[in-house]
Parts: sequence; structure tokens; C-alpha cells
Amino acid sequence: MIINGVVIDDTFSEAFSMRATRVIITAINYKWARHAAETMTGFATSVIGCRVEAGIERAMGNHETPDGRPGMSVLLFSTDRKTLQKQLEARVGQCVLTCPTTAVFSGMDNEDQIALGKNLRYFGDGYQNSKLIGDKRFWRIPVMDGEFVCEEMAGVQKAIGGGNILVFARTVSQVLLACEAAIDSMSMLPNIILPFPGGGVRSGSKVGSKYKGLSASTNHYFCPTLKGLAGNDLAKNIEAVMEIVIDGLTAEDIRLAMKRGIEAVCDLGKSQGIEKITGGNYGGKLGEHHFHLREIVDE
Amino acid sequence: MSNLTVTFNGLASARIDMRWLSEAMINSYAVDQTNKLTLPVGNKKIQVGELFNISDNFNGNMVQLENSTAKLDNIGHALPQGAHLTVAGDCGHYLGAQLAGGKITLTGNTKDYAGSAMQQGIIEIKGNSADYLGGALPGQKKGMAGGTILVHGNTGNFTGDLMRRGVIMVTGNIGDYCGSRMIAGTITNLGKIGKQVGLGMRRGTILLPELPDDMALTYINCGRHNLGYLTLLLRELKTHNSEFKSLHSMRRRVQKYMGDTSVSGLGEILIWIG
Repeated sequence: MIINGVVIDDTFSEAFSMRATRVIITAINYKWARHAAETMTGFATSVIGCRVEAGIERAMGNHETPDGRPGMSVLLFSTDRKTLQKQLEARVGQCVLTCPTTAVFSGMDNEDQIALGKNLRYFGDGYQNSKLIGDKRFWRIPVMDGEFVCEEMAGVQKAIGGGNILVFARTVSQVLLACEAAIDSMSMLPNIILPFPGGGVRSGSKVGSKYKGLSASTNHYFCPTLKGLAGNDLAKNIEAVMEIVIDGLTAEDIRLAMKRGIEAVCDLGKSQGIEKITGGNYGGKLGEHHFHLREIVDE
Repeated sequence: MSNLTVTFNGLASARIDMRWLSEAMINSYAVDQTNKLTLPVGNKKIQVGELFNISDNFNGNMVQLENSTAKLDNIGHALPQGAHLTVAGDCGHYLGAQLAGGKITLTGNTKDYAGSAMQQGIIEIKGNSADYLGGALPGQKKGMAGGTILVHGNTGNFTGDLMRRGVIMVTGNIGDYCGSRMIAGTITNLGKIGKQVGLGMRRGTILLPELPDDMALTYINCGRHNLGYLTLLLRELKTHNSEFKSLHSMRRRVQKYMGDTSVSGLGEILIWIG
């Protein structure tokens, strides 16, 4: 399959099951809500080293948030529920509770829930108060700018992490341009995050390593400086490969994001130096979710 | 779902315990079966059929009690989730006591202990309530433990006495000793408030439109604040069809008093500013 001169590989990108939660961070204005959200989602690119993958889903208007203030919707993904809860509590405790004027609420109404403010309340040293409003419990913790309000529990659901596309181009500048276009297009969608810096990954990994104890290592098959070595079948004119990793709440969310991303890259086309799009296929070793590129393009 | 009508003929000379109505609703009794239930009325035992006209078998959750008077106690006792009882007229003591998720709408006034020890559900009183609204049953140590009581008129003394959880909304005035010995929960009104608000209050919130005349010395003035959670609370209050709908949900600047410091002192009396 070739679109605008860009080859779409006949392969699939491999993804794995995760658990996800969404929280809504509000503050007196967007500036402080964003500070909290960005801090909370820092160092959350990959579960390999960060235990959690997180990102800002979107900004929320006053009319959309529980307390009528500007907010940020944040998605967090982890491999299991327990880790997700631990990371959520740690990140809210260190990055949201500490940030001036913020409050935090669950962004999911699922029956399956993990602690959000349930344990953070003890920071209140006995001066914390709870309010059961409707069927939700909120904690009010006295802090130096007033009160930190947080919902007791946050919804959690099954999700998918590691959906991806890999873009091959003739130069680094061209692959960056293509990926930025794809990332801009994908970032408009709900229910997904692109957890890596700016949404792009230059250190794509393969499963396993020659070194004991490393679960992942550089994807040497796609490293242009290793062209010509066994297994590396990059064409002579390829100087850069970039990956975009997508975590989503459902397979449909990831498929749609991949489609938008592929379309954006193909819009630039071969004339802009884009040669090929492929997927991170690890022969089924990584995960049970397979996103076939050509099927997605045809949808 | 049927809309069954139970009409009181008003012929009883003494007070009547209405717990039979809840029993019939919960167990879906037939008319004949219900009519044969015996009630202690004064020093006599009378069958339900002698005092009430029941239009149909109890096979649904919607029941209308007509011609109710202040002699009828324990109306809507422990009604479970899904049950909806509408009471036309006044009612006696213990309206909706130990309510377990059901909904009760009263068109008239109620006597003492309405909503006492209720667990969850909604009681809407379109008239006035007497004393101990949302309080504890006599001899017990905890009052209402959840749910909402909405009073469109005024309430008497000891509103929310020993209240443990839930919300009491009063569009009119509240009598003396509001929130006495309160353990947690929320009481709010739009009218005047009587003496000794929050006497012995441990935790919880009393949200008032104006400062009480005799704020106890055991309350600490904590200053003026914007409390974010009030928006959450107001949005919940505004879901009920009442005068609370007219409040702006971003109205959250209050004067805060903390107490009662003669006990644990973690309760709060909040007075709207502006």
C-alpha cells in the first residue's frame, strides 16, 4: 500500500493491556492547573522505567469541571491496578497537593475504583474534613492557601498501552516535521495520550537485551547508524526513524489515533522526504493487541 | 408500576402506628391481606381495613397516602430504595424514620423526629417540621446517617441533633439548638436561625445566610475564605426542586467559625458573604 508516495508496511503494531485512570485537576486559572498537570505527568513516559505512563488529555472549560474552575484532564496508565494507585497517590500528593489553588477529582465514574484522596487526607493531621456529596466523598485538607479539595476515589478501567507507528524519512528534520504533524492531529482526540516527550520517541525499543536483567533495549533494527548489520534492513536513503507511542482507553481510541497520525504523515508525502510508515511488531512477544496498519488506513 | 392510593378515614381517636404501610409496600401485600393487619390504637386493636381504604394490591413502588393527619406516626418507616410514598396532608412523629433509600413527599406539616436515624433516601416536606428533624431516635446516639431532607417551610428546635451524615436543606427558618451534638453532615437554610447554633457540635457543616444573634463563645472565628467544595455542595443542592436553585453555584465566599471547642471542635458554621 502506497499513499502519496509513502509506503504503508503490511504489518501490525503490537500493544499490551494496561489499567488506566483519569483525574481532573482544577485551579484558579489554566496556568496553575497546567503547572500541576505537567508536573504530575512528568517522568511518566514508559512503564519500563517510570512504572506509569501519563499525559495531559486536554484542557477543560469552567463548565466542564466539578468545581466550575478551569481544569486539565490527565490520563495515567500502568500495568496493574496496584501500581497505578501507588503512582496516582504519589504524584497527586507531590505535584497537585503542592501546587497553589488546585483541586483534584476523578474523571471516570466506573464502579472499579482506586484511592485518590483516601490516604492523602492524612496530610491534614486531623484537621481534614470529608463531605459526602451525592454518592461521592470529597476530602478537604487545610493548606496554606485555603483548602485542598480532592475526591476520595478515582475510577479505573482496562486500557491499552503501546500502540504505535514508526515513520521513516530521509533526514531527521523531515521525520520530525512529519511526526509533529501526526502528533498535532492525534492530540486532538479524547481518551488517548502520547506519553513520550512531545509525543515522539527516538529511542524505540525491542523486547529483551543481550544484558541480563534488561527487559528492553534499543531497537537496533531501526537504528540508521547500524545500517547494513544483520537484521537491520533500513534502506540506504533512510537517515532517521521516529516512533509515536499511543496509550488509549480502548482499542477503538488507539485505532482512530493511528489513523489520524498516518493520514497526517501521508499528507506530507514522499516529496517531503517521508518514505515509509511501519508498526512496532515484536512477533507477538509484547502484547495481545495487534493493530494492522493497512486495515486501519482502509477503515 | 401502579399508583396505589391509601385513604385514611380519620375515625381513630388515638395515635396510629403506620409501620404497617411500609410492611405492605415492601412485601407487596394484597388488599385483603393488608386490611386484616391489626393495629394497636389506644388500648384497642383495630384492623387496618377499619381505618383505611386501600385502592388496590401493593404490587408497585408508588403509593399515595390521602387524608393524612398529625395522628399518623411512623409514616414511611424504613422504606427501601425505589419506594416512593406521597403523603397528602399532615403527619405525626417519625416521618421516614430509618428510611433506607426510599423517597417520601409530604404536602403538609410533620411533627417531631422526621427523618430520624434515616440511612439514605429523600424526604421532602412541603410544610413545616417540628423538633428533632434528622435527629436520633430516642435513646440512640446517632441521628440521620445519610440521604437528604428538604423542608420548604420552617423547622423546630434541635434540627440535626446528633446528625451523623447527609444533608438537611431548609428554605425557611430553623429553631433553636440547630446542629446540637452534630457528628457530621450538612445543614443549610435560607431564612433565620434560632439560638445556640451548633451546641456541642463535633464535626460537620452548618451553612447559613446570616450570622446567628448569639454565636457561642466556644466557636473560633477563622476569617473569610473562598471554599471550593461549596460549589460541589451547591450543585448538589440545586438538583432538588426548591429555592436553593436560585443560588449561584460559584457563590463560595464565607465567614468561617470553627467549633464547638467545648467538644472536639472540628465542626464549622459558615456564613455566606455577599
